[in-house]
Amino acid sequence: MSNLFSDPLIKPKDDIAGVFDEENGLLDRRIFSDDDLYQQELDQIFGRAWNFMVHESMLPNVGDYFINYIGEDQVIVVRDKTEKIQVLLNTCRHRGNALCRAEQGNAKSFVCSYHGWNYDLQGNLVGIPGRKDYYRDDIDQANLGLAKAAKVDSFEGFYFATLDPEAPSLYDYLGEVGRTGIYMMTANGEIEAVNGVQKNIVDCNWKIAVDNLFDWYHVRYSHHSAVKAGLLDIDKMLHPLNQMVLLGEYGHAISGPCIPEKLQQQIDTMTDEQRKEFSEADGSVRLRPASAKKKMGEQGVRSMGHPNIFPNLWVTLNGMQFCLRLPRGAHSTELWWFTLVQKDATPEQRKAVVRFANHTFGPAGLLEQDDGENWTQSSQTSKGRASGLLKHHLAMAQGHDIIATDKNGAGVIETHINEHAQRWNYQAWQDWMQAKDWADLKQNHRKVPEGKI
Amino acid sequence: MSAITPMVSESTDKQLAMMQKLILQHQVEQFLYAEAALLDERKYDQWYALMADDIHYWMPIRRTTTAKDIAQEFTKIGDIAFFDDDKELLGMRLKKFNSGSNWSEDPPSRTRHIVNNIRIKKLADDTVSVDCNFHLYRSRMNTDIDNWVGRREDRLRRTEDGFEVFQRHIYIDQTVINSTNFSSLF
Repeated sequence: MSNLFSDPLIKPKDDIAGVFDEENGLLDRRIFSDDDLYQQELDQIFGRAWNFMVHESMLPNVGDYFINYIGEDQVIVVRDKTEKIQVLLNTCRHRGNALCRAEQGNAKSFVCSYHGWNYDLQGNLVGIPGRKDYYRDDIDQANLGLAKAAKVDSFEGFYFATLDPEAPSLYDYLGEVGRTGIYMMTANGEIEAVNGVQKNIVDCNWKIAVDNLFDWYHVRYSHHSAVKAGLLDIDKMLHPLNQMVLLGEYGHAISGPCIPEKLQQQIDTMTDEQRKEFSEADGSVRLRPASAKKKMGEQGVRSMGHPNIFPNLWVTLNGMQFCLRLPRGAHSTELWWFTLVQKDATPEQRKAVVRFANHTFGPAGLLEQDDGENWTQSSQTSKGRASGLLKHHLAMAQGHDIIATDKNGAGVIETHINEHAQRWNYQAWQDWMQAKDWADLKQNHRKVPEGKI
Repeated sequence: MSAITPMVSESTDKQLAMMQKLILQHQVEQFLYAEAALLDERKYDQWYALMADDIHYWMPIRRTTTAKDIAQEFTKIGDIAFFDDDKELLGMRLKKFNSGSNWSEDPPSRTRHIVNNIRIKKLADDTVSVDCNFHLYRSRMNTDIDNWVGRREDRLRRTEDGFEVFQRHIYIDQTVINSTNFSSLF
């Protein structure tokens, strides 16, 4: 981080190494309740990572802004006068007041409601009331602009920001698996965000919510009532014996159902038009066009699973929706749901997307209603003196599968329902928490394994 | 005193009109109270029967905006919403309640639906619009408390037995929903 910032008050813990017992697939569940570890996560994970900010379609005009977070740091994501996306820390350089108090909107500049300091859309301090009479013109105005994210970049229209100038480029950070996860949203053509982000708060640790997105084991049981209600045809969706896991560097992973190779070979013989027709007739599947294979990889193109862009961006419904898990202390997480639609969708298609999105996820979603309490209780039991010492069991299918590297560098496992991606996620978490800085992380993060896994 | 004293000087027509208004107000209020009680008593099937076949049950997302951008405060019909149900989708929520595996409501929540500030407007002979404030209190497990407060724009249609609801638009007074879920009905 630049010298704008003081050193962290909490010194990192050195004894992270044993938190996940990789050999036995057992996890020290105190990582879901320890407040010091949480502060360390804010510095070493959210402070270093590329964090999702906005999709470009959310800020079409100069001055449009959307408030997002990097860890617990609130940032103003705004399109400046040159049409560039800026990511500015939402805190006045004078007394720290939040400049922007709305969740979204349009602004010409950001004026602090405390003493009236005024910042332009690039974060430059352009107005100080009483500069001459009270400050006697003795203030370093040029250096009191808003603090900015160290880097802002986009991939396929998705903007990310990092506070760490040493972070690799967004492209390299995402790697093959992260990029495949984003292509899942764009492979079928140009998209735009639908108006409205559902936000709610669940009293759980953010990591248990991330763990759950890889978890196709819970679907049949946790979401049994949604199946009974007729929301989903679970057999059409789950394919428990046709599962694919893709593992990427820095913790990115994709896990879930996949199109079997033989079926993909048939799809490969279809024209894009035929694929579209098939998808529209079937209703439950959206076949990707031929161009997707080059982007997502020979194997990745078959995935119908759930990507997580490390640390906290979940892509779901084959790219129709994505969700941020924003940390709010060790015991609380905000869930933000974003919905995408093809730019060329007919009004009927658009309606169908919105209808399905509204009824599946979000606090009233027939599926997601049943998740929150599981996560809350999985987090809360970690507070018990005795129960907190019992480890989480993550050993499903461990040692029973083979991982091969595809030619783009992603590790691919074809298997049944499993817990590979969760193990990978906690291993990566450990790498991030042990690394002293990005240089250390770049060098010492685990590489995608090969062979038995 | 004059405001509450019957206006003996007014014409019989005016008095009759006033009486009709009072009766309608009373009927609508009694209907809303009885409907709310069905939800609190977990008689979901009976409640569902009061929803019209053309019901639009909708809760838009609300956003904190500046006064200048207040037109963006609520998402619009066709945008993303918390609830956007027709009769079929409401029916799915009912099936979920009755599925035997509705974990978000098993153990069942304790709810209390408070409905007040009821202002009605006759739309046609058989339909009426009803604006009201609501307070839905939910107590879950042993210590989880939710207080959902807001405004509703209902529309009711006369039936043989009373009324049915063909519009329930719910404007909640929260932006980031401070709750694990919305497993209750409003």
